[in-house]
Amino acid sequence: MKRALGIIGIFLAILVFSIFFAENFTTGINLMQLTNRTALYSVLALGAALVIVTGGIDLSIGSVVCLAGIMTPWLLIEHEWTPWQVIPTVLAMSAFIGLCHGLLITRLKLQPFLVTLCGLLLYRGIARWMTGDQSQGFMGEYGDVRAIALAKFSIPGLTDYRLPATVIPALVLAILIGLFLSRTVWGRWLLATGRNESAARYSGVPTAWLVTGAYVACSLLAGFGGMLFIFDIGSAQPSDFGNFYELYAIAAAVLGGCSLRGGEASVVGVLFGVATLRVLQNTITLAGYSSQIEFAVVGGVLLLGVAADELIRRYAARRLERAGAAA
Amino acid sequence: MKKFVSVVALASLSFGLLAAAPLAGDLVAAQKERIAAYKSAPKKRSHVAFVSNGVADFWTIAKAGAIAAGKAKDIDCDVTVEFPGGGLGDQKRMLDDLVIKGIDGISVRPIDPTNQAEVMNLVAEKSLLITNDSDAPNAPRLCYIGMDNYDAGLMCGKLAREGCKGGKVAIFIGRLEQDNAKRRRQGFIDGLLGRTPDPTRYDEPSKVFTEAGYTIVGTWTDSFDRAKAKANIEDVMIKHPDLALMTGLFEYNSTLAVEVIRQTGKEGKVQLAAFDEGADVIAAIKEGFVLGTVVQDPYGYGYESVKVLNAFTKGDMSMVPANGIINIPAKVIKKDNAEAFWKDLKAKIKAGKDAK
Repeated sequence: MKRALGIIGIFLAILVFSIFFAENFTTGINLMQLTNRTALYSVLALGAALVIVTGGIDLSIGSVVCLAGIMTPWLLIEHEWTPWQVIPTVLAMSAFIGLCHGLLITRLKLQPFLVTLCGLLLYRGIARWMTGDQSQGFMGEYGDVRAIALAKFSIPGLTDYRLPATVIPALVLAILIGLFLSRTVWGRWLLATGRNESAARYSGVPTAWLVTGAYVACSLLAGFGGMLFIFDIGSAQPSDFGNFYELYAIAAAVLGGCSLRGGEASVVGVLFGVATLRVLQNTITLAGYSSQIEFAVVGGVLLLGVAADELIRRYAARRLERAGAAA
Repeated sequence: MKKFVSVVALASLSFGLLAAAPLAGDLVAAQKERIAAYKSAPKKRSHVAFVSNGVADFWTIAKAGAIAAGKAKDIDCDVTVEFPGGGLGDQKRMLDDLVIKGIDGISVRPIDPTNQAEVMNLVAEKSLLITNDSDAPNAPRLCYIGMDNYDAGLMCGKLAREGCKGGKVAIFIGRLEQDNAKRRRQGFIDGLLGRTPDPTRYDEPSKVFTEAGYTIVGTWTDSFDRAKAKANIEDVMIKHPDLALMTGLFEYNSTLAVEVIRQTGKEGKVQLAAFDEGADVIAAIKEGFVLGTVVQDPYGYGYESVKVLNAFTKGDMSMVPANGIINIPAKVIKKDNAEAFWKDLKAKIKAGKDAK
């Protein structure tokens, strides 16, 4: 939680700015859209965080989002599979992709950057080849299946705000991952593996399986996220769907206190990291800034956030050192 | 002294390069000479190529047109269709390869004409160059096949004006860097506001202004990220709860606008003047809550490109008008002709997919 304090501070600062300067920011419908977007991107960022904890990286998230997202309507509409066949198949395929990444990294000792970079090219290529580069959509059908992402639940007492269905999987995943990291032996082992892989291995921790598991979870969540995205958007083009989403996921995880060196993570921080990026994007539109400036603002805030976080940590470490010396 | 020598050397080198770079006019003349030579010795069976700027259903339909033209009795030639999926670099590689292969003529949709002069010159030098969909008037192209994006935007603007008598208007478009996007947007604004058409006019995208009862609240871009495009529409509808009309000037912008209107239950409350033939857009037109859509004729772009290039290799340039623009006009699809249009489109996409 301590690790998340920095990002919570940044988030609150942006929130205050948005409340004052972004028109209609506090309307129920806007907050509803923001919760929905935060939930969608959180699924990806939580997966990215699990891999980052091990000191690894997954650059293929966006392409897995694309492959899983494109395959869903492709199998449903073009191949007329039932949703009961499609959803498990797409999730199993995503997990299998993660398993391949994990095994290549832990058994063949390939660099995570390389393996997932190849994945980035491979899965997008497959998605494009499979569909003949045609955009895939639900053609106005499968409203009941799309409700997984589109349904909204009324909250007693609130008239304008309804809770988006995507919040449920995102929250469940966040709680499960949070408990896993902080309350289970396996979670502690995963953190130990990220901090010092050799030390963990010599202490008897099955590091190879833990790392493989992290990649499986990351790709599985990317695939699941891809499905949620396509349910939400309705159609997608294989050549651009999910482009750069791995970077949004990694940025949110790092903003949220995950160290790219491994061994550190904060699930709460990741959620706030995602929310910060989404609120920023929303505010740029609502406050009437030109959308051309968006990347610059996001980049600037990211840099500021990471730098401030590092400085605070150094300051805290120095204080601890001084306190230790005085004692 | 050394510095002086290097400056002089650099200056003379750049001058040499400049002098060596062929002028567009010379290259056009050289191509015309080659076509004239074909008159006495026409190519028995020519091989021409159609190159898009990316990958989309739009181009699959164009491919169907190009392949159909190659098979047509009065044309009968070999056709290669290329879709560069990786942007500028990919398109350059494909054009280079086609030239090396000895292709007789290429119809290309330039991605960034001002920065592609080198490769366009190469095609004009070694083969025959025409452009489609978005023109490159300064390139050594023999003609341009496509619609005028300003005119198409104007059609869309007029469609919006008919269906919505005033109020706040928002414009959504993938990106604004390319010439066709700028012209389409300006045409829409001029048509909506009932101005006298003038393609050289330019309203700043960031400027909010009121004219003729309409307030243009802004233009939003998304660099082809659909989640972002959807977020843009949602955010603008939140910022302006009294939005009267919107337009999505690229295919997916309109499709997503339909999606957001449905999700927020604003059918009939926010009007939409659409662009291109997204399945959801056509369905919404049939249902009656979208005013209509302006569609291009990619099949015509593909067909005419092959027809014209093949004619060039027989020494015939008669179909190219003096201004060098072969116009394939856009069409407005409304509730009454939506069904017929959709059936025809499906058949063409299928033909494009099946075409080898």
